Amino acid sequence: MSDRTTATGTSAIGGVEPRISLSLPSLLGLIGAVGVALALVPLWVGDSRVLMGVAVLGLTFGCYAIGFNVIFGSTGQLFLCVGALAGIGGYGGAILADTVGLPIIVSILLATLAASLTGGLLSWIAVRRSLGVIFTGIITLIFSLTFDTLLLGLGWLTGGENGFLIKSGADSFLREQIPPYYLMLVLVLAFLTVHGLLRRSHVGWAFRALRDDEVAAEMTGIDVARYRVYGALVGAGMLGLAGATYAFTEGRISPNTFGFAQVDVVVIVMLGFGGIGTLFGPILGAATFTVVNEVLIEFGQLRVLIYGTLILLLFLFLPRGVIPTVRSLFVKRRATRATASPD
Amino acid sequence: MIANILDGIVLGLQFGLLAAGLTLVYGLGGVLNLAYGQMAVVSAMVVVFAMDAGVPAFPAVLLGLVAGGLFGLLLDLTILRPVYRLHGEARVLLSLLLTLGVAFIVDGFLNWRYPLKALNLFIGGGAVEILGVPMRRGSLLASAITLVTFAALFVFFRFTILGRAVRSVIEDEEGARLVGIDPHRMLRLILVLSGVLAALVAITRSMVIPVDVQAGFGITVFALIVAVVGGLGSVPGALLAGIILGIVSSIAASSIGTFMSLVILLTAAGVTILIRPSGLLGVKE
Repeated sequence: MSDRTTATGTSAIGGVEPRISLSLPSLLGLIGAVGVALALVPLWVGDSRVLMGVAVLGLTFGCYAIGFNVIFGSTGQLFLCVGALAGIGGYGGAILADTVGLPIIVSILLATLAASLTGGLLSWIAVRRSLGVIFTGIITLIFSLTFDTLLLGLGWLTGGENGFLIKSGADSFLREQIPPYYLMLVLVLAFLTVHGLLRRSHVGWAFRALRDDEVAAEMTGIDVARYRVYGALVGAGMLGLAGATYAFTEGRISPNTFGFAQVDVVVIVMLGFGGIGTLFGPILGAATFTVVNEVLIEFGQLRVLIYGTLILLLFLFLPRGVIPTVRSLFVKRRATRATASPD
Repeated sequence: MIANILDGIVLGLQFGLLAAGLTLVYGLGGVLNLAYGQMAVVSAMVVVFAMDAGVPAFPAVLLGLVAGGLFGLLLDLTILRPVYRLHGEARVLLSLLLTLGVAFIVDGFLNWRYPLKALNLFIGGGAVEILGVPMRRGSLLASAITLVTFAALFVFFRFTILGRAVRSVIEDEEGARLVGIDPHRMLRLILVLSGVLAALVAITRSMVIPVDVQAGFGITVFALIVAVVGGLGSVPGALLAGIILGIVSSIAASSIGTFMSLVILLTAAGVTILIRPSGLLGVKE
């Protein structure tokens, strides 16, 4: 971190991964603790339909942030199509269930698969053309805009600007007040576990190596291309699954549900706040900004201004995010204590 | 067909001007300015307020150009300071995130205070026939201004010492430093220039369609795409890419409808980037 000139984009903004990896029980323990804490939320705001909606959306953004973290944080690919990939899940699921008439669960799985393959394809193209962080960003941004345009243009299929009213599952638990929250919570915990286990496996080591120094990773025999595509397949699958599930709990989706400004920008800010590349950064960021957003809602248009100021302050003074900053404070304190009292 | 191509060229000149300011700043400083569209919108609003206050159109436009330049200077003096300390992709990323913050602040403020303001500089009078095709006076004036601007940029970069100094930094920052050119001063100059160009974008655009306070992000995104297709850092590339994309978009719009034309425009841009990641006239890194 001291030598920023050689650091690749992601590590300079996101901070370095810890060299100490968690043991399996403490990893699962931590995820469990997060699960228990989040499971208590409905006890607190469960009476309010509006606030439960906000909480479900918050968890959905947690899912998005984890998916984006797998792609960007772990394998350094700047995918500016988080909303579009989630939208493939959401719209795909809705169209398969309502228009084609497949069972909901099958629709969700197929839509997830479609999102995952799309992400994998984008990554494969970027890897094959050896596009850097910025060009991957631009290609995926173009993909996002194309997806948005198609959503609006193919009105007969997607409902265009008015959105898509999903009839499947309308009278099931998916539209009740509390159950969707726990459904999304299960997704969040599952995604955290998958990402946590990935980081512990040889895949995680490869991710870290290629993120820190791509050339060195290639030299030591890591197939950088293959691991990048793996990362994108998994991350995009998470985005698609979260988007599809959210669509069915919400019942109505529109281009704005998966819009670039509404999803991608927010997810980047959340992840930047929590700490790019950290396991729990996405959850911390999603929780914080869901609350911040609720607090700011009465400010109307002024909210955008406050958001901008927060982004500015965040990346000026905390460019690595909260978790890496706090962790390095701890490590420093431990180090000074160790040198002060050698035993 | 001739009508489509002429329309395409008019649109393409607009695209090219759009990308010029963005591409220069990126090529020179590795700074991706996502507040570029907001620079244009702020300048447009300055013109609107000046005209509301009774300033005649021409001086008001000059005020707008000054405002754009000041915006660029302000960015250089404030939030881009920490950005300059980084290098390579880290610099691009931090600049992108910080200017995104600025873009939100500007958008939030304008939408909060003046949601309905728009700059409108329609040029009246009947259509003028060119090659048998009737063209609006506004588009012709906008195109003429754009062509003059590009010619001026060309002269500046090719024949003035300052312009050559700027180009030397684009080609090799270290080398330029070794022969006594201060890259940071060049960058400040280019940020001011890019602000003026952004203002010019808003002004020429408002001769054809109104530029409202929400226009910022659209301008930035299109500028970015055209700049990348043309080759980041290359002003002639921006012009060429703008004209090609303009013609593609205009022909597609008349033959298969406006919505598919946007899809085709985006696809064309994507394919060009994939075939030539360095852009049409960009230098391979």
